[in-house]
Amino acid sequence: MEALQQRRSLLKGLLLAYPLISGALLLSPAQARLRKLPLTVLADEEAGDLESVIEALVPGSAEAGAVHFIDYQLAKPAADSLLMLKYLGVEQPHLTFYRGGLAALAQHSIARFGKRPSALPALKLDHLIADLIADETPGWSGPPASFLYFVWRSDGIDVTYGSEEGMAMLNTPYMAHIRPEQPW
Amino acid sequence: MVRAADKVDLLVVGSGAAGSVFAAEASAAGKQVVLLEAGPARTPDDLFSSQLWARRQKWGGAHVEEEGNHRVGHNFNAGWGTGGSTMHHYGVWPRLHENDFQTFTEYGRGLDWPFRYAELRPYYDRIQGAVGLSGDATQERWRPPGDAYPMPPVPVFGQGRLLAAGFARLDMHTAPLPLAINSVPYRGRPACLYDGWCDAGCPIGALGNAQTVFLASALKSGATVRNDATVTRLLTRKDGKRIEGVEYRTADGALHRQYADVVVLAAFTVQNARLLLASANSHHPRGLANSSGLVGRYLMTHPTVSLYGMFDEETQPGFGPTGGQLINQDGYDNKLGVKDAYGSFQWIIANAVKPNGLLGIANSRADIHGSELKPFLQRAVNHLGVMTLVAEDVPRAENRVELSDKRDAFGVPLARAVHNLDEPGAALVAHALQQGKAVLDAAGAREQWRGPQAGMHILGGTVMGVNPAKSVTNSYGQSHDIENLYIAGPGLFPGSGAVNPTFTIHALALRAVEQLLRNWP
Repeated sequence: MEALQQRRSLLKGLLLAYPLISGALLLSPAQARLRKLPLTVLADEEAGDLESVIEALVPGSAEAGAVHFIDYQLAKPAADSLLMLKYLGVEQPHLTFYRGGLAALAQHSIARFGKRPSALPALKLDHLIADLIADETPGWSGPPASFLYFVWRSDGIDVTYGSEEGMAMLNTPYMAHIRPEQPW
Repeated sequence: MVRAADKVDLLVVGSGAAGSVFAAEASAAGKQVVLLEAGPARTPDDLFSSQLWARRQKWGGAHVEEEGNHRVGHNFNAGWGTGGSTMHHYGVWPRLHENDFQTFTEYGRGLDWPFRYAELRPYYDRIQGAVGLSGDATQERWRPPGDAYPMPPVPVFGQGRLLAAGFARLDMHTAPLPLAINSVPYRGRPACLYDGWCDAGCPIGALGNAQTVFLASALKSGATVRNDATVTRLLTRKDGKRIEGVEYRTADGALHRQYADVVVLAAFTVQNARLLLASANSHHPRGLANSSGLVGRYLMTHPTVSLYGMFDEETQPGFGPTGGQLINQDGYDNKLGVKDAYGSFQWIIANAVKPNGLLGIANSRADIHGSELKPFLQRAVNHLGVMTLVAEDVPRAENRVELSDKRDAFGVPLARAVHNLDEPGAALVAHALQQGKAVLDAAGAREQWRGPQAGMHILGGTVMGVNPAKSVTNSYGQSHDIENLYIAGPGLFPGSGAVNPTFTIHALALRAVEQLLRNWP
């Protein structure tokens, strides 16, 4: 049992590793966002739209660093990705999926509301999400809108509630065999 | 430039459930064994308790195209790395039933297995002893003959007790779920902690998988695993009558050849069929082992749906095995018991669930978002109950693995998996879901809902049988066409039954490798 307890308390460094001139800067997604670290693959407009939509789907996900997490995973070799999309049968590279979805989202938002998602007030963002859920997106050219809703919502839940801190917010124990030092 | 290695006795493609049994038994018998594993090297120390990190255990190789009204869900079911799919499997190990083996003869449906349950029983019993199963055979009133489990059942938590009461109120029965999970220390491995992290991989070794049992045994006996080794082609002798070995690529892109007396293809259902088809040559223009034209045919998956109930009582849904705590197979032995339907089904009851993940609490209600999400999760993490349907799929030739026009990074055609569920199969699922709803009502669920229908497990595609014109291999997985080529894994199954297949995969592999060692070709 003592060995088991030792294993339970064994720490593992599971962090986003941002390269420095020497070594790497290890940060959680929330810390990376707070420090405004540059994204690797997503453009600023894409990141802004993605953060707005995911925050509307999963409140708290923006502060938890959802966009930094997604960006980091999209930049990894495909086999190492921790995104849920990995096992949903979507062909790699997954950046194509996200980028195509974000372009279609922006196009629909501008056509319907005259603004990108990142510039929409909360009520209109809700209407935009309702369009995604119902696939009421005339002229849509990206991955299916309702599937994007599912994937982005899942991403937000992963980052917000898939960690010890997230589960603590739900008042439920994490109970790690091997506890991550940080969630990512 | 091709790098050729010395010839070995036995070359196993894939280090999962079936491949590890072949490797363990052959290396123990003194054979020189090499396993080629497409995924990376992993040990239990690489496993973290996290739904996110669990995704590293899922398929990371060439894309699989999928079509049909009931897709097999390749990337969710297939594994990646040392130990293959066993590293993320839940350890639910029921046996097939006696009436699963002769479905064509007895019901006029599907295909007959080349033997009956009695032939497989001793192998089930021996595997059970080696791996260690927990359960209570006396409570499984539907269980076919077999030895008692070596360990007592896992404990039942809140949701299990509530759901069991629901079954009982409908005069239905539950029994402890037979699990390849230690309820007490067993053969040097510790007991489970019931923390609900099975599908992230079990870092303490309480769950029986390739790394904890047969692969570990193989390595001790001198077998070698080469990781990041993606097999791209099987090589035949010039006359086409024997397998010489395989070609494979390593992560640096280098092309290698490994020669062997015997090759075992144990790369899981879809990749096995893909490799056979992609290895066509002048002697085997339709692909290796494919004189029947049936390589890739009879692809199956178990239709599955999870049902959820919200209870007033505390349910502890985060505790216990991910695979569940209890089982119900009351109607299993009557495959014609439902009007307009055919097949058996089972319920696996009280699965441990975490907030996130594809099968997590949040995605059970994908419609909830925004401000309603957190209150839902806060309630569900203490009051949710879950039970999961596993239904039979009938083998149909039109459900298949075939080659795509697209190719992977190494130039090998991608696999396309085509799978549709027929009307009797859909009717069976509909009936079962009505039953499940009644159970949740009887259990006192205040609200209930269902998850999406999906494919659990992937079977068929290289089916075994007696007649070489109607099957790909004999009852040992030995190719009808090429005597030193064996195929292993759930692709051999001529029928799916309605139980989780990993126990049967092990039993078949043990039976096959013993035949191989007796009759070394």
